[in-house]
Amino acid sequence: MLFPTIDFAIFFAVVYTVSWLLNPYPGPWKLFMVAASYFFYAWADWRFVFLLMASSAIAWLGAEVLDRMAGRARRVALWVTLAGLLGLLVWFKYYVFVTVNVDNLFHGVGLGRPLPLLNVTLPIAISFFTFMAVSYVVDVHRGVLKRARPMDLAVYLAFFPHLVAGPIVRGTELLPQIRRKRDPANVNYVEAFWLIVAGLTKKVVLSSYLAAYVVDPVFADPRQHSGAEVIVAVWGYAVQIYADFSGYTDIAIGIAMLLGFRFPQNFNRPYTAVSLQDFWRRWHMTLSGWLRDYLYIPLGGNRGPEWRICVNILITMLLGGLWHGAAWTFVGWGLYHGIGQIIGRQRRRWRAAHNRPLEPSGRARVALARFVTFQVVCGGWLLFRATSFSNVTAMLSRLFSGWSPSPLITPLALAAIAVGIATQYLPDQVLDRLKGAFADRRPVVQGGILGLVLLAITTLGPQGVAPFIYYRF
Amino acid sequence: MTPSTLPPADAVEDDAPATGSADATSTPPVVGAPGNPPKFPGIPWTRALMIGLVCFGVWLLLDAPSLQASAQASPFGTRRTVSMDVLGPIAVVSRGLQLSHVVGWTDDALGRSQGGGPSLAVARPEAHRKLPVVVTTTVPATPNTPTTSTTFPVLNQNPAPANPLHVLMVGDSIGIDLGQALVNDLAGTDAVSPTLDGRIDTGLSRPDYFNWPEELSADLANDRPQLVVVMIGANDPQNMEVDGANLAYGTPAWNTAYADRVGSFMDLAFATGAHVLWVGMPPMASPGLNAAMDNLNAIVQSQVKAHPGQATFLDTRTILGTPQGGFTPYLTNSAGAELNIRTPDGIHLTNDGAEVLSQAVINSMRSTLHINLPPT
Repeated sequence: MLFPTIDFAIFFAVVYTVSWLLNPYPGPWKLFMVAASYFFYAWADWRFVFLLMASSAIAWLGAEVLDRMAGRARRVALWVTLAGLLGLLVWFKYYVFVTVNVDNLFHGVGLGRPLPLLNVTLPIAISFFTFMAVSYVVDVHRGVLKRARPMDLAVYLAFFPHLVAGPIVRGTELLPQIRRKRDPANVNYVEAFWLIVAGLTKKVVLSSYLAAYVVDPVFADPRQHSGAEVIVAVWGYAVQIYADFSGYTDIAIGIAMLLGFRFPQNFNRPYTAVSLQDFWRRWHMTLSGWLRDYLYIPLGGNRGPEWRICVNILITMLLGGLWHGAAWTFVGWGLYHGIGQIIGRQRRRWRAAHNRPLEPSGRARVALARFVTFQVVCGGWLLFRATSFSNVTAMLSRLFSGWSPSPLITPLALAAIAVGIATQYLPDQVLDRLKGAFADRRPVVQGGILGLVLLAITTLGPQGVAPFIYYRF
Repeated sequence: MTPSTLPPADAVEDDAPATGSADATSTPPVVGAPGNPPKFPGIPWTRALMIGLVCFGVWLLLDAPSLQASAQASPFGTRRTVSMDVLGPIAVVSRGLQLSHVVGWTDDALGRSQGGGPSLAVARPEAHRKLPVVVTTTVPATPNTPTTSTTFPVLNQNPAPANPLHVLMVGDSIGIDLGQALVNDLAGTDAVSPTLDGRIDTGLSRPDYFNWPEELSADLANDRPQLVVVMIGANDPQNMEVDGANLAYGTPAWNTAYADRVGSFMDLAFATGAHVLWVGMPPMASPGLNAAMDNLNAIVQSQVKAHPGQATFLDTRTILGTPQGGFTPYLTNSAGAELNIRTPDGIHLTNDGAEVLSQAVINSMRSTLHINLPPT
């Protein structure tokens, strides 16, 4: 079920009301929320509800077993559980990719085709709920989280606001909220409605417009577009994916807030970053935090010789790239960012050794650092969005050969890109003043204002709404 | 606020926290959490519900005519009936109070049809322009492809950069998959001027939702193609309304009406002197949809046969399927490499699948239409 649809609006109106009515009764509330979340998930394909149930069962059972053990047995139980959870992910998400590549490799050297070809359907959201299940099991193993009751864990993994495309909420953050009752007299409605409206605007208006009128036509057929259009399409995609993904998480955080839950922030003005490291502090923060805590640090993190640290960074970023999709372009994207991180790290080491400031200072240097970082990030987005490496080379080749007229570069297209970037520089005080003005109105007026904003969004948006980009991850 | 980063920004100076310690809790800031408290006072959930309902009501009243139009265009069935029943009276009130003009004015200001934003995933014809001229003289081989044969006396069979063949590709979402590869490949010959007009979620069954005959007429007038490549049909197995009567999908009456629509659609191209190369639907993973595609392919094929010399049907069932015409997500290409040709939904084409089909279309243009296309 997509957030910006009438189906979801009706679904949420019912779930919101029943959820608050059942709030005093934790048992029935959990049962209801699991049922509602499974219904939400089943809307796309009911068969995968069983996969979600299986993942929840493996995580619960694994945590139960390992928490009763110690030493080597505890570690074995952890690895068996992780193998079960990640095995489902690998099977459903990577089987086709691995099979085709392995078979072609073996066939190329005359060794036949060892793996059978099967038609495996990719379930929506498997990457997200698998990572959440892994974090739960590992946190129990580390002793930072108590084992959850089966129903608590089922709600944690299936809770519909985060289910499809995150944010990746840790057990330490969400399970305590599931266990306690929410305050029915204290719904943080100003922030919630703001997030929902902002998310809808970003997704329905900005992202959809850029996709349909700038990005998709150029990436589909670069040979018929100028170098300038290629550059604008890549910039456009940078704004599109930000508007799309951050729009989704804004809505997710907003609807969770209306239900009395708090989710972690997932984006923090990513295109104001002054370096690639800074960008990863601001982009998809719950994923980068997950990769750091459950992959990078277990690999050795910043300990050991410098080459080992660089290898850890590279492995983490490569796997982070592959998490986004089973394609070599995603591996290339991960490698690109891994190498970028290593270069940034070496630069910082050099500057530290020569007593130079690690961060740019002064307006001009900060502006330059932001501009350069944005272009470097856009280089990664080219890999991320391209359908193949030949698509990448076709796009790049137009930079050197195709400076013909550029009808796709319209004032509206440039304005959309500019707005997508400029809003990240808006001071909090400006937004707070807007929210404050809204909060001062009477409820009926507030509803009227929101209705008009909703009308503006649906009027300016396209017919139908494309699925969120991160749905396929 | 504890920033989350990979690796930590201070990675050079500080050791990472040891695994198994409190590092697992260093997560992004939680909106509204202690330390990051709400800036505005909360309200009871019932009041928040009331605000939401007022919002929904205002929007519904102002936007009811657009919603009614969307509901009208949705597939026939209970959901459509209920939507129409609910939205009908609201739309009447909206129009009566002149509230629907708000949306109408916006559409007028943006130069759109009523209630219509930009369609999604549209490769727009106006994005096309001629490629740099490169002279090529190679006459390609003409391998056989499974097509319904005919002859084409007036087609530009020797296209060149100075005298390009104008090709228009129209299609639904699968047609877009093919079209993007085909336009690229044809453009690569430097002897073809290709244009793609693709619309997701469309077909010939529901002109009330998207009117392909009108769209094709406009494309024919704008682009003046000599060859029209059509790949439409995956969304068509649904009830149709013809002269006020609701025709159930799969009935003889439906088949007859659909055949008429296919024939009329082709006639639009024939009237401008263009040839039609209709690309049939490939096998589908779902047995039900697969059978429906077989039915549609048979109808289209019969219409092609009824227009000898003007249309060609390219059967894709063995090109994108097993030798028996069954569904397969994989193919082995001539180099022996395995290709994943279908997306996980069992309907659409991957890039490799689109490329396979694009080459088949080009082969058909060479072998059946006798067009001397330079190599791509």
